[in-house]
Amino acid sequence: MANTPSPSTDQLTPDRSAPWLEPRGLYVHVPFCAHHCGYCDFAVTVGQDHLIETYLEALALEIDRTEVTTPVDTIFIGGGTPTLLSPDQLGRLAGMIRRHFPTRPNLEFSIESTPESITADKVAVLADHGLNRFSLGVQSFQGHTLRVLERQHSGDQVTPAVEIIRRRVPNFSMDFIFGAPGQTITDWEHDLKRAIALGSSHISTYGLTYEKGTPLWKQRESGDVIALGETDELALYTMSHELLGSAGFEHYEISNFAKPDHRCQHNEKYWANEAYHGVGVGAVRYVGGRREHNKRNTKDYIRVVFSGESPTFQQEELSPFERARETLAVQLRRSDGVSRQAFLHQTGHSLKSIVQHRLAPMIEAGLVTDENECVSLTFAGKCVADGLVSKVVWG
Amino acid sequence: MPAPSHIRNFSIIAHIDHGKSTLADQFLLQTNTITKRDYRAQLLDGMDLERERGITIQMHPVTIYHTKDGEKYELNLIDTPGHVDFGYEVSRSLAACEGAILLVDAFQGVQAQTVANAYLAIENDLTIVPVLNKIDMPTARPEAVTAEMETAVGVNAEDVLRASAKSGVGVLEILDAIIDRVPCPPGDPKAPLKALIYNSHFDTFKGVVIYIRVMEGSVKIGQKIKLMRGNTDHVVMEIGQFRPTMVPCQELTTGQVGFLTAQVKNIQDVHIGDTVTDAVNPTETALPGYKVPQAMVYSGLYPVDNEEFEDLREALTKLRLNDSSFSFVPEVSDGLGFGFRCGFLGMLHREIIGQRLERDCELDLVHTAPNVTFQILTRSGETIMVHSPQDVVDGGQIEEFREPIVRINFLLPSKNIGDIMSMAAERRGEYIKTEYLSPERAIITYELPLAEVIYDLYDKLKSVTHGYGTMEYELKEYRPADLVRLDVLVHQKRVDALSVIVHRSTAERRGRKLIQKLRKEIDRHLFDIALQAAIGSRIIARETITGMKKDVTAKCYGGDITRKRKLWAKQAEGKKRMKQVGQVEISQEAFMSVLESDD
Repeated sequence: MANTPSPSTDQLTPDRSAPWLEPRGLYVHVPFCAHHCGYCDFAVTVGQDHLIETYLEALALEIDRTEVTTPVDTIFIGGGTPTLLSPDQLGRLAGMIRRHFPTRPNLEFSIESTPESITADKVAVLADHGLNRFSLGVQSFQGHTLRVLERQHSGDQVTPAVEIIRRRVPNFSMDFIFGAPGQTITDWEHDLKRAIALGSSHISTYGLTYEKGTPLWKQRESGDVIALGETDELALYTMSHELLGSAGFEHYEISNFAKPDHRCQHNEKYWANEAYHGVGVGAVRYVGGRREHNKRNTKDYIRVVFSGESPTFQQEELSPFERARETLAVQLRRSDGVSRQAFLHQTGHSLKSIVQHRLAPMIEAGLVTDENECVSLTFAGKCVADGLVSKVVWG
Repeated sequence: MPAPSHIRNFSIIAHIDHGKSTLADQFLLQTNTITKRDYRAQLLDGMDLERERGITIQMHPVTIYHTKDGEKYELNLIDTPGHVDFGYEVSRSLAACEGAILLVDAFQGVQAQTVANAYLAIENDLTIVPVLNKIDMPTARPEAVTAEMETAVGVNAEDVLRASAKSGVGVLEILDAIIDRVPCPPGDPKAPLKALIYNSHFDTFKGVVIYIRVMEGSVKIGQKIKLMRGNTDHVVMEIGQFRPTMVPCQELTTGQVGFLTAQVKNIQDVHIGDTVTDAVNPTETALPGYKVPQAMVYSGLYPVDNEEFEDLREALTKLRLNDSSFSFVPEVSDGLGFGFRCGFLGMLHREIIGQRLERDCELDLVHTAPNVTFQILTRSGETIMVHSPQDVVDGGQIEEFREPIVRINFLLPSKNIGDIMSMAAERRGEYIKTEYLSPERAIITYELPLAEVIYDLYDKLKSVTHGYGTMEYELKEYRPADLVRLDVLVHQKRVDALSVIVHRSTAERRGRKLIQKLRKEIDRHLFDIALQAAIGSRIIARETITGMKKDVTAKCYGGDITRKRKLWAKQAEGKKRMKQVGQVEISQEAFMSVLESDD
């Protein structure tokens, strides 16, 4: 077996308290949305707001049953639209989290939200519980793009929402989608410039993906919408890289840009393949090298949790070598890249034992750099990261 | 035990589609050799491939019984293959017979290969029983086709039988004619055993099953026999006849056809054409045997997964047990790793072997472009046989580059003579002669480089004559020609498996076509890929496959990681089925595209 590394100097004994085994982050999922956007394939629940109270009870049960061995330094409430909840409900949610999970100094506590669901009361109650970062799902400022994506807000609602947030929580991020049908490079330039002007410390730009089974995917299949071509997508992506770069943002992950010291530390755990807790419907947790997925249907989730069982419906525990491969694959998404030393320490396998001789041609093609014992993707490499990662890591 | 006077041995010479298998089926049915219940179409076509393609390369032998004038006769049908690639097989089957049915489609008429095989039979002193088949078809033209048979093969019109194998009309009359016209087998039943090995196959339990025709004497179970060529002794374990399954019997005597097993484990000990005799009381002289078949076409076979190299070797060895007419030697290619250079009788033979390997042995193979065997006379006076483009020595060392020339007969509708003449001229053909079988049909003879013939000539002939033209050829000689090796460079790396030897005058056209096809077949990579065709260091054509510019999905959170990991791994798995040439992955289809003919 060419892929099996020798157990000599390439292997180290794992440290059970290491951040990739013992979680220092927490993800909480709130599935409720006012509308199911056409592109979205997350675990979302629409038109079931009457379940919110019961859901919070179930969540409280799951949180109570979660074993905590070390304090966390990041909390991320994602959705769905968590800020669809009332101020009172948000307060209870934040409260149950804070009571159960001890935290470290410099805690990063984020929540996802949408422009139309923000109110001063909600921001206030969250801030009172220590929340210090908002992630605002803007997606676009352009009416025609928002309509294609089936978003429920207009571009004009963003500025008021930002003002409300900023009064209590100065640190906020904005999410955008590029590559929507009909989007032009000028549209995109305006979107990015407005985000910068509004003082966002962090910007995520997600290339639109047509996830199988979503309404947008069906529209593309039937020819009702026409996907942008490769050249156009590339132009948009290049625009983000250049424009945000010159505005002082660091392109620190394939889809993410941050002002200095404003990276999303919670997401960085995913891209480091480190451990995290996950609670709520459809949530994923990664504890002690074992990844578990919760049920994706809200009613199922509630029922199972109330009956005292685990809401997990899928789980996997990879062999050390496969885990090392996965780690390499996700770490390559970071502009910091992969430090050979840290990689060996984290996975027990040398980077060389995985990539063998497959890096050199990528370096030659200008897609990868390998300097100071650290391997990372160039911008051209980021553009083709999927094919590249598959090739380099799996051969 | 029938006396030789009540035995007849015959084969059927027919063109593909002229109804050979159907006629054989009727022989079995009408003589009650098999029941209607056991019947399935093309019963004697052993290989799945044959039944599937509806063509017969070679049928199983069969023994049938037919009663005429109150006397029971044993008739043995030993088949001949009908395709141009298998002339060698024909000669060895004919040597076991005294007669041959010349079966011709009453509409399509005489075909080139039929003529060639009929002459082979006549040269072997076989009695020809001419039969017009499909006479009940509304389009049948029995008078015209009978006239063609007279002109082309020299049979007498009054001897031509008329039959319809499909409806069963005239079938028993054919058997009667065989008994009447074909001489009974000669030979002294009292003489020491002398039997011809005309075929064999390998059986996991019994060892080699040896197909024999007893020429003199007889053979019994328990007898100690000698295979004369290798001078090896064996004890007969089993004797039998094909009826049509293998049915055991006690003895085979002079004139009879059947099989024997003698626990021969190594097929290399059994040579087709060899003589079996009694170990204790051997015959004095062996039978003349056959000329060794000459491989006409060579190509490389490589496992897609290099770890299957030994499996491929084993599969090739097994195939060779039942087909001694192909050969293989290991070779190494920069791009393809370890594989074998295989010699075949022709393109159909090559295709069949490839399909059997892929199907029966479940191997994924890359077939390199086929080539003929060239000769190079070096400056130092040495003659090198070139089986592979890799064997071509440096240009400076070549005194003379020679290629095989075949004498080829096209039998075709007269109205297509002009088309064939243009085709042959484009392929450096030299005109020899034209003969008219009738005002509508002619045989036109050329001398052509074999390389041009295997490249695309057969397909072209079929297309210009709408399927009515046929061809047949034999090697004539080697002649000097202005040949060059055309190389293909993928991303600056020469892919040795894609090199071809071509005439200089066609090199540029071939090179351009070749890389245009490749361009369509190679997937985009992460970088630009240059495709070049070159003669020596001179680039004669170039194409570029532009690299992927954008291939990244945006999100990668908790649950996405699992999904993405599986996708990545799957993508990589798919690529592993391809061949890695430098940094470029090339699929088997890409290699195959090089072989397809021009449009």
